[in-house]
Amino acid sequence: MRTINELTQRQVSRRGFLAGVGATAGMAAAASVGLSGCGGSSGGGSSGSKNTLTIAVNGTQSAATAISQAVSPAFKQAHPGISLNFMAINGTDWNDYFAKILTLIASGNPPDLTTVATEGLQLFAAKGLAEPLNSYVMSDKASLQGFFSDVHPVLIESMMYQGDLYVLPTDFNCGNMFFSTELLDKAGVSYPSDNWTKDDFYNVAQKWSTASGAVAWDWVVRLWGSWTSWMYANNANLLSEGRWPGGSWMWDTFYKNDPAAQGRQGGWHWGTPTANDPAVVEALQYMIDLKNAKLSASPDVGGGGTLQGLFASNHIAMTIGGGFWAGGLHTAGMTPTSFDVQYFPAWSVQKHLLGDAGYAMLKSSNNKEMAWEFMKSLTEPAALGALIAGNTSTPTRRSMMTASRYAPTGPAHWPVFYGTLDKFPNTTPIPAPPYYQQLATAFADRTTQAMSSGSAKSALDGLQSDLEGFASSASS
Amino acid sequence: MALAIRRPKVPAGLQRRRETRFAWLLILPTVLFVGVFTAAPIVGSFVLSFFNYSVIAPAHWVGLANYQALLHDSNARAAFGVTFLLTAGIVIAEVVVGLALAVAVQRRMNWARPIFRSAFFVPLLVSGASISIVMSYIFDPQFGVLNYYLHLLGLPQVPWLNSTWGAIATVMIVVTWQQLGFTFIVFSAALGAVPKELIEAARTDGAGGWRIFRKITVPMISPSILFTVTVGVIGTLQLFDQPYVLTHGGPGNATQTVVLDMYQQAFQNLRFGYASSISVILFIVVLIATYLQFRISRKWVFYS
Repeated sequence: MRTINELTQRQVSRRGFLAGVGATAGMAAAASVGLSGCGGSSGGGSSGSKNTLTIAVNGTQSAATAISQAVSPAFKQAHPGISLNFMAINGTDWNDYFAKILTLIASGNPPDLTTVATEGLQLFAAKGLAEPLNSYVMSDKASLQGFFSDVHPVLIESMMYQGDLYVLPTDFNCGNMFFSTELLDKAGVSYPSDNWTKDDFYNVAQKWSTASGAVAWDWVVRLWGSWTSWMYANNANLLSEGRWPGGSWMWDTFYKNDPAAQGRQGGWHWGTPTANDPAVVEALQYMIDLKNAKLSASPDVGGGGTLQGLFASNHIAMTIGGGFWAGGLHTAGMTPTSFDVQYFPAWSVQKHLLGDAGYAMLKSSNNKEMAWEFMKSLTEPAALGALIAGNTSTPTRRSMMTASRYAPTGPAHWPVFYGTLDKFPNTTPIPAPPYYQQLATAFADRTTQAMSSGSAKSALDGLQSDLEGFASSASS
Repeated sequence: MALAIRRPKVPAGLQRRRETRFAWLLILPTVLFVGVFTAAPIVGSFVLSFFNYSVIAPAHWVGLANYQALLHDSNARAAFGVTFLLTAGIVIAEVVVGLALAVAVQRRMNWARPIFRSAFFVPLLVSGASISIVMSYIFDPQFGVLNYYLHLLGLPQVPWLNSTWGAIATVMIVVTWQQLGFTFIVFSAALGAVPKELIEAARTDGAGGWRIFRKITVPMISPSILFTVTVGVIGTLQLFDQPYVLTHGGPGNATQTVVLDMYQQAFQNLRFGYASSISVILFIVVLIATYLQFRISRKWVFYS
């Protein structure tokens, strides 16, 4: 055996040295190329081969696997030789998810399809990342007639931007009010009626709180279903509401005789910021007043998992929720009769906010035709049912809203979910302009600022200034 | 034992060059690793800071515009202020509490030092994000364990995460608790190396415990104090995980650190050029802070 000294003194030939350096430099160069890909443009095509569709899903790997198992067999049977690769991207909220998707696109590894909710629809459309579906829809109108006739037009319009459709919505959630029947029964408080008001809400909260000594209601700091529901009920919004022109191709083709489609155009146009409008300030101040009256907890920032846990464990009596809460509460151990749902109470109006979701095809996809086939396959009731099995969301197809669907999970008043769209034509998507990500961050910052300082006005003056800056940058 | 292998005689200069070459070959992987994964991103960030770059659109040269915008960005200024405040509080707490624990264990429970060392070090092995998730349940103002026990004791409940000072204090407590094991171990080792004869001589001369600690122990462990302060300052100036998970930088921007602001600018607002300019400024701040610490240390650090 040679000694260390011998080893170190062994001659290293020039050729050997250069070969070693070359190999090491080669590896480094390969690593550099990999790194430089991170800064690449979005020009790269989708990552999969022609026979593989890569689909990004907002959720855990187990959720993606469940979706894959649910929808893949039927799709593969109809399209032999095509494999589906479901890529789980676990975002804490939509903002986090979109940040990860955009990073994926920037790294030159974009999926063919990605889940997109109302939150990101205009972001993807305005930045030219998503493919408009108009021509695909029109070329397949015969096979899609059944889908559109079964889906409320507001769910379609909220997936349009500047007259173009980007997503065939699979599921939606309106901001309704969930309450624990178990807790209200214990406190001897009667359940809210469908035309209840803000004052009725306050009375229920006060009665429950007095009887139990606990807080009556809680919420989460986010754009969908937070104090924004109260803002909508007070007939106000963070941005002025308008509509993009266009969209007649859709309404004239699929919704010609539907009164609910009257006046619909090319998608919501979010205009000038109105965040410090007196009605908006009043809504946020109401949250502060509820907290000060010990009727409301201090809200968390995030996806709402903690809130659902608190509700399921009977720590709070009421909260804002959508159809997805039915599945969530059931999974958390609540029985179908231990909770129920009602429309959101009226303030100056009875108006609900809405968010829907589906799959968008990315412009960079090399498999657009196959991606479209996949999108179409999800409009079938069987695929939709599998996609949101266990009532993890509300199906966009009205025909799927049945008593048998909600029997295992509850709630008893499940017709409220779709009824919100039918009964309240003023139901409006959450304000998600192309600069949604900046808006969402500023919204969370200013809301927590208001809740900690006790002054809604100064926080919303700040938000107004933030939004004016974002809107100005976005338009320049 | 005589070696049987006979080597050809090599001139000294050639031998030295061979050794130098071989040494370079040995360190080459490390140099390349640092170059590709540390130096190149630093240079890349610096270059990027002169561009307007949203990742999904081509970059545009904007010169110093990002730095000018940074000068007028009240949120960024606030983030630097919050970061300095948190750094001061956390580093002071880490050094003072870490030293106090190390002294207490050495004097009273030296036999249990390995147990304490492990107990204090374990949190350091867990990710900041995981710890913060657990801590968010403990510090939750409404349903948290901490306020529950405060209530049981008849003490007022503290709005830990939803008031400005509550959130700042929570971040400080969580980070200090997690990092304490590091300072504890460094100070434990340093205290063990203080010559006992010095302390005995001082005691013989009539010096009390506090005086011995101040005049002998502290000067003798001053290099370790400098080390922990330097490492602590560099680490805390880059604080991200705990405020991100615990408070999301709130309420308002009360716990919005520079790196959190940088993250939001880059990955949420897609302003990668602007975020790079923040990182360059932070890099300069870290450099200056480290230089100042070593400069000032000449006056108080004692190298025996």
